[in-house]
Amino acid sequence: MHIRLGVDIGGAFTDLVAFIEETGEIIWVKGETTPLNLAEGVINVVKKSKVNLEKVTMFIHGQTLVINSIVTRDGAKVGLLTTKGHRDVLILQRANRRDMYNLRYRKPEPFVPRYLTLEVEERIDGTGNIITKLNKESVVKALNKLLKEGVESICIGFLNSYLNPVHEKEAKKIVLEELKKRGLNIPVTISSEVTREWREYERINTAVLNAFVKPKMKEYLSVLEKEVTKLGFKGKFLTVLSNGGMASFDFAKELPIYTIESGPVAGVMGAVAIAELIGERNIIALDGGSTTTKASLVEDLKPKVTSDYYVGRDRFNPGYPVKVPTIEIAEVGNGGTSIAWIDSVGNLRVGPKAAGAYPGPACYGKGGQEPTVTDAYAVNGLINPNYLLGGEMRIYRDLAVKVIKEKIADYYNISVEEAADAIVMIANENAANAIRIISVQKGYDPRDFALIAYGGSGPMFAPFIAEELEIKKIIIPSVPPGVFSAWGMLLMDIRHDTIISNVMKVEEGNLDKINEVFREVDERLYEIFREEEGIPPENIIIFHYADMRYKGQEHTVKVPVKTGTIAAKDLPEIIARFHEYHEHAYSFKLLDSPVEIVNFHGVGIARVVKPKLKEIEKIDGRLDDAVKEERRIFIKGRELVVPVYDRVKIPREVEGYGPAIIEDPTSTVLVLEGQRFLRDKYGNIIIGFKS
Amino acid sequence: MGKRDLFTLEIIANNLMVTTEEMFYAFARTAKSPVIYEVLDFAVGMTDAEGNLIAQAPGVPGFSGVLDFVARKVLKKWGSDLHPGDVIVDNVPYDAGTHLNDVTLAMPMFYRDELIGIILSKGHWSEVGGAAFGSWNPNATEVYQEGLIMPCVKLYDAGKLNKDVLEMILSNSRLPEYTKGDIEAQVASMRVAMKRVYRLIEKYGIDNVLRAMRKLIEDGEKYAYQKLKELPKGEFEAEDYIDAALAGTDKPVYVRVKVKITDEKFIADFTGSDPQVNISINSPFPATVSGVREVYMAVTDPHAYPSGGFFKPLEVIAPEGTIFNPKPPAPTSTYWESMAFASDLVWKALAPHVPEKLTAGHFLSIIATIVGGIDDRTGEPFAIVEPQPGGWGAGYDMDGTSGLVAIGDGDTYIASSEVYEKNFPILVERYMLNTEDGTGHGKYRGGFGVIREYRILNSKAIVTIQVGRRDFPPWGVAGGMPGPGNRVPLL
Repeated sequence: MHIRLGVDIGGAFTDLVAFIEETGEIIWVKGETTPLNLAEGVINVVKKSKVNLEKVTMFIHGQTLVINSIVTRDGAKVGLLTTKGHRDVLILQRANRRDMYNLRYRKPEPFVPRYLTLEVEERIDGTGNIITKLNKESVVKALNKLLKEGVESICIGFLNSYLNPVHEKEAKKIVLEELKKRGLNIPVTISSEVTREWREYERINTAVLNAFVKPKMKEYLSVLEKEVTKLGFKGKFLTVLSNGGMASFDFAKELPIYTIESGPVAGVMGAVAIAELIGERNIIALDGGSTTTKASLVEDLKPKVTSDYYVGRDRFNPGYPVKVPTIEIAEVGNGGTSIAWIDSVGNLRVGPKAAGAYPGPACYGKGGQEPTVTDAYAVNGLINPNYLLGGEMRIYRDLAVKVIKEKIADYYNISVEEAADAIVMIANENAANAIRIISVQKGYDPRDFALIAYGGSGPMFAPFIAEELEIKKIIIPSVPPGVFSAWGMLLMDIRHDTIISNVMKVEEGNLDKINEVFREVDERLYEIFREEEGIPPENIIIFHYADMRYKGQEHTVKVPVKTGTIAAKDLPEIIARFHEYHEHAYSFKLLDSPVEIVNFHGVGIARVVKPKLKEIEKIDGRLDDAVKEERRIFIKGRELVVPVYDRVKIPREVEGYGPAIIEDPTSTVLVLEGQRFLRDKYGNIIIGFKS
Repeated sequence: MGKRDLFTLEIIANNLMVTTEEMFYAFARTAKSPVIYEVLDFAVGMTDAEGNLIAQAPGVPGFSGVLDFVARKVLKKWGSDLHPGDVIVDNVPYDAGTHLNDVTLAMPMFYRDELIGIILSKGHWSEVGGAAFGSWNPNATEVYQEGLIMPCVKLYDAGKLNKDVLEMILSNSRLPEYTKGDIEAQVASMRVAMKRVYRLIEKYGIDNVLRAMRKLIEDGEKYAYQKLKELPKGEFEAEDYIDAALAGTDKPVYVRVKVKITDEKFIADFTGSDPQVNISINSPFPATVSGVREVYMAVTDPHAYPSGGFFKPLEVIAPEGTIFNPKPPAPTSTYWESMAFASDLVWKALAPHVPEKLTAGHFLSIIATIVGGIDDRTGEPFAIVEPQPGGWGAGYDMDGTSGLVAIGDGDTYIASSEVYEKNFPILVERYMLNTEDGTGHGKYRGGFGVIREYRILNSKAIVTIQVGRRDFPPWGVAGGMPGPGNRVPLL
């Protein structure tokens, strides 16, 4: 027997999914997250699962340590060495005022204060040539100063190192030697090892964040390795990367910043796997979380992986750029614990504040005093009081009624059901509008996509959103929505991305240069696979992309190009494809304009055999037999009595009609009037519209 | 009205705001000029049938108050001559605009035969002719040298393209392809918005949609009065000077404001400011209003939804013929330098009284910089066009922010030195905080300005810089000292 384990740490819960390769069976376990000692929570669920670790071949892990450490600014004291004349790169940032009417605007606080940022004598110009040689003394002098200040992690970020990293490498060597001399074990991060993309603030900030989380992550992963090994595990430790692939723990110890979005991307990969299984190619993966809802548009089964990622960015905050390849995921609205409130002119609003896990919605009975979306569901009969969190947590409807009555219904002088209904409608509307905007921004029409909904509240939001956006098909996976991300981890390949910026016109004269940069990308990929994963080149598949633009433009469009040497005869096709992609993204093309490559992007993949969803048994019998009760619900201003179906008793591929509720111990699906549903052969609920 | 309807109206109102945002992104995505899709130098919005702003989405703060001027002008000029399918084009600075580059298209919305609103889209066109490439002419002495005037004429008449008007516009542009592309994108994005409004009407009924429009305006107004209550009442004054060199005058240009705040009104009166000047920095009245609206937003609620209702208590007075309300044919192509003073004066007048919303003064000038020439390496032309960041004032509880773009810029990115060094024959020797004056004084120090030092590696280059606040430095507050002025040494 071979078992594969996926363990995902979330804000409130740590989820484990075990997949038994021979039988296709899936076991899942939930435990509490232990914020003070994350490894403990992981070990707890592993023990709770009773899985025999000696049979486990892969331990795949997604964690929130990196993102939390950054958000709470709880990391190492970092010292930064920069190029002379450019010491203030982290303070200057891009000088933009994102909160444009706020005349007391403050920029995000740099992760390295000015006194720990020191200049070094060296200079490489915009063509990659050395114009001032690295001055060793200046490095040692700066290092001594940093050590005196007690730094715990060192970062080196020089100008133009994306073109020529030689000075950064040399400086690293000097620093490591000096540290060794002093018997110090302090990690060193250089920007060109984190990314080879241009724009100094973005690259150096990424490296600084890496340095900031590195000591903590290294420690955490080492403890976990030790503890899990103690339980008998002899397989491979893997971590989820933001690019939707996996990498070894060794890689994550060096470049922890690459794992920053590991939880959410695993969900997207799970959604992609389900889409592939049932023959959908274009999907919106909708993850209804506790505090927010996230969405990712996936075209042709390929999640968009770009390095255009920021921590803490929103409408009024620029956030911190993190130039690591990340699946594009947008926050599109409210989560299950978002709070409803009345603004100063009397409008009902939902979010962005949320009750989170603690104190949680009022109906959890843990002291929550604010009305949330979940309370609204409880009031209007949309969720089963006996069922939340696998029946492990009770729902107190009366508490929800009380808080919605006092805080909302009484204000408007309406019934508590009407108030709850309004909360649900406004939360749904928020999400639908946000999805509309992210589609439009990228040149997509949401009607061309199927919606795959998971996470605690995803299956609740989805039918409303689909109705509003005229999405024709909704898929609610059979995998319990609460452990969907952990399950998604079992469906990944080992993947690494390397991006190198080097601007050049796409023309015959540049062919050698173009091929040379792509070769450099490939070499870097082979090196990572060899050194961090122990995987030889013959087991790696490489894909090439080029971020291209019309000369004079700033923005680029990612275009797939052939792997291997590009010949003169390939150029027209590459350029034609760029025109096509550009037109799709921006609705026009400039056929006469010269075209440039800005970034050379290589993706290396080592395939892993994936688990297959088991087909469910054919149940003879009628849909009516699956009805376990009739429930009074209140929705869209009307009271209805609807059948409640027991999900696992619904016969395969028999069509039913809304309004209806479909339940199992882990989730609730609401099917609206005018919608039809069926349970497909894998147990997924597919919702469509009556024609 | 039933209570349930209230929530329906709220949902429609939200949809109208999102529709505006959708129009914003649709235009950004399809425009051909980088100044639109990268700098976001445009704004879109819609008004009701009387020209009251319902919703708007500005890409830069300076565009926060110019759309409704155009709507009212269109209504006044065309009135009953408006028809479904019309698109009106206007760029006259004095009564509805800023400079000739900022061209507004207006599309009336009809339900059956009744006008229900106007959709507006104002964008910075890369080229509208005139003496200088880019229509940006600091040496102009009359508007005629700045480009083509489009005086509220029909580009589309009842759905039919007025080819003659279009041809005249394109013939006056040095980049007709871009201009044409931008017009098409602008019109298409407005049609997207119109379609969405019709869908809302289909779904919720015309009465509800009209009520939701009214609601947005009424809610904004209600909120504005709530916020006005929180402000100190009385009259607050400030004066300042615009550098003579910037204004092309013998002596500096005197500017002043009297701000009067009551429970119902927020009045900014610029009476007493000097006459318009013979150089392109004049701030047309709509731009002056925009500048005041920025500070009005800042002191009331920087995150408020800016509808016509929200701006209703605001009144701006600027006598005709002054720098803040120039008469034709005053040139206005670099109006932003004076417009910034309109913002800054109101800010300065209120700063001591609203410390929780306003800091001391800042470096103010956009410091528009152009470095251009023929690249020795490639023989191709190159041009850097950029604003500069600077220091912002300290607050009652905070140090000032260092290295930030000026009030006229918003979510505007300063270019990366690496990008410059790769694309252009320059070396960025220094880009750092300016701490030459020490690390600041007092309990809270002002933000640091920056030193940006370029070494030009080309045999020849032309540098054009328009810089303000050199002779009259940023002002302090609550005993704080002024900051240093802006400087451009050529070494």
